[in-house]
Amino acid sequence: MNPEPFLQLDRVIHEKGRLAIMSLLAATPQLSFTEMRDTLNMTDGNITAHIRTLQEAGYVSVTKEFHGGRPLTTFSITSQGKKAFASYIDLLEQIIKQTKKK
Amino acid sequence: MEPNWASEHLQVIRTLMERSALYRRALAPIMITCGVIGLAAAIATCFIKIERPSHFSAFWLTVSLLGLIASFLLVRRQALKDAEPFWSPPTRRVSQALLPCFVLGLVGGIVFLTHQSLEPAANWYLAVFWTAIYGCALHAAGFSMPRGIRLFGWMFIFGSTAVFIAGFVRPEWRTSEAAHYVMGIFFGVLHLAYGVYLYFTEKSRKST
Repeated sequence: MNPEPFLQLDRVIHEKGRLAIMSLLAATPQLSFTEMRDTLNMTDGNITAHIRTLQEAGYVSVTKEFHGGRPLTTFSITSQGKKAFASYIDLLEQIIKQTKKK
Repeated sequence: MEPNWASEHLQVIRTLMERSALYRRALAPIMITCGVIGLAAAIATCFIKIERPSHFSAFWLTVSLLGLIASFLLVRRQALKDAEPFWSPPTRRVSQALLPCFVLGLVGGIVFLTHQSLEPAANWYLAVFWTAIYGCALHAAGFSMPRGIRLFGWMFIFGSTAVFIAGFVRPEWRTSEAAHYVMGIFFGVLHLAYGVYLYFTEKSRKST
């Protein structure tokens, strides 16, 4: 098996928690902190840590505002994040094809 | 390295993407409130005689407006409580799916509201039409909601079809009174029953 596609996998996205976050954000334009936490059953600290990593990579943008007097944090995927996620999926498909060929 | 990990990864991504697009507000309070409103309205018609099609249409359009306002307030309250935006993408998708059938139902109601020459028995047709169209609306919205909503929509579609056929087998059933029963059973009892069912299932899902 050619290990090249595996080596090309984006390490930022490949981590389980961050992959879940990216998958959610790829399907919906924006998601609030609580929606993400409830969907993924993650702790607040976990989400914050993963989001920070994704934000530093330029894949996710964070918006903080006040809604009805309460703080509201929403996340959305950036165009760079969309590209990275799409190429991650492409690489996964390549790996699957290679596995089938064997 | 496990050879299937990549396809498992893709499956997880797919599941999460589908879950992300789903409408997640608790539906039990909405269904129970709508059921109570519908049932109360149907019971009220036992005491207030509403026979003329224009009155029938105006009465049930007002009831549906009350149901819509109550649902709107409940969804808004849930969104505020969870510190989430009210007009979220799933809410938008559900509203867009409901809208065409709701508009059609409103047009049907307006036709009955404005045509004074209609016989009271015509109310039965409007009740069957509203039930069927509401089922279609739920089914359409069900693609962005938990699967149960689509099945609930099918209950309205099959139910209205059964009532429609029954009305032709037994023409004496096509009365204004029967129309109120149809509205009460479908929009009152059925909503209430589904709301109670959701109350227990949504609660137990949360606790797991």
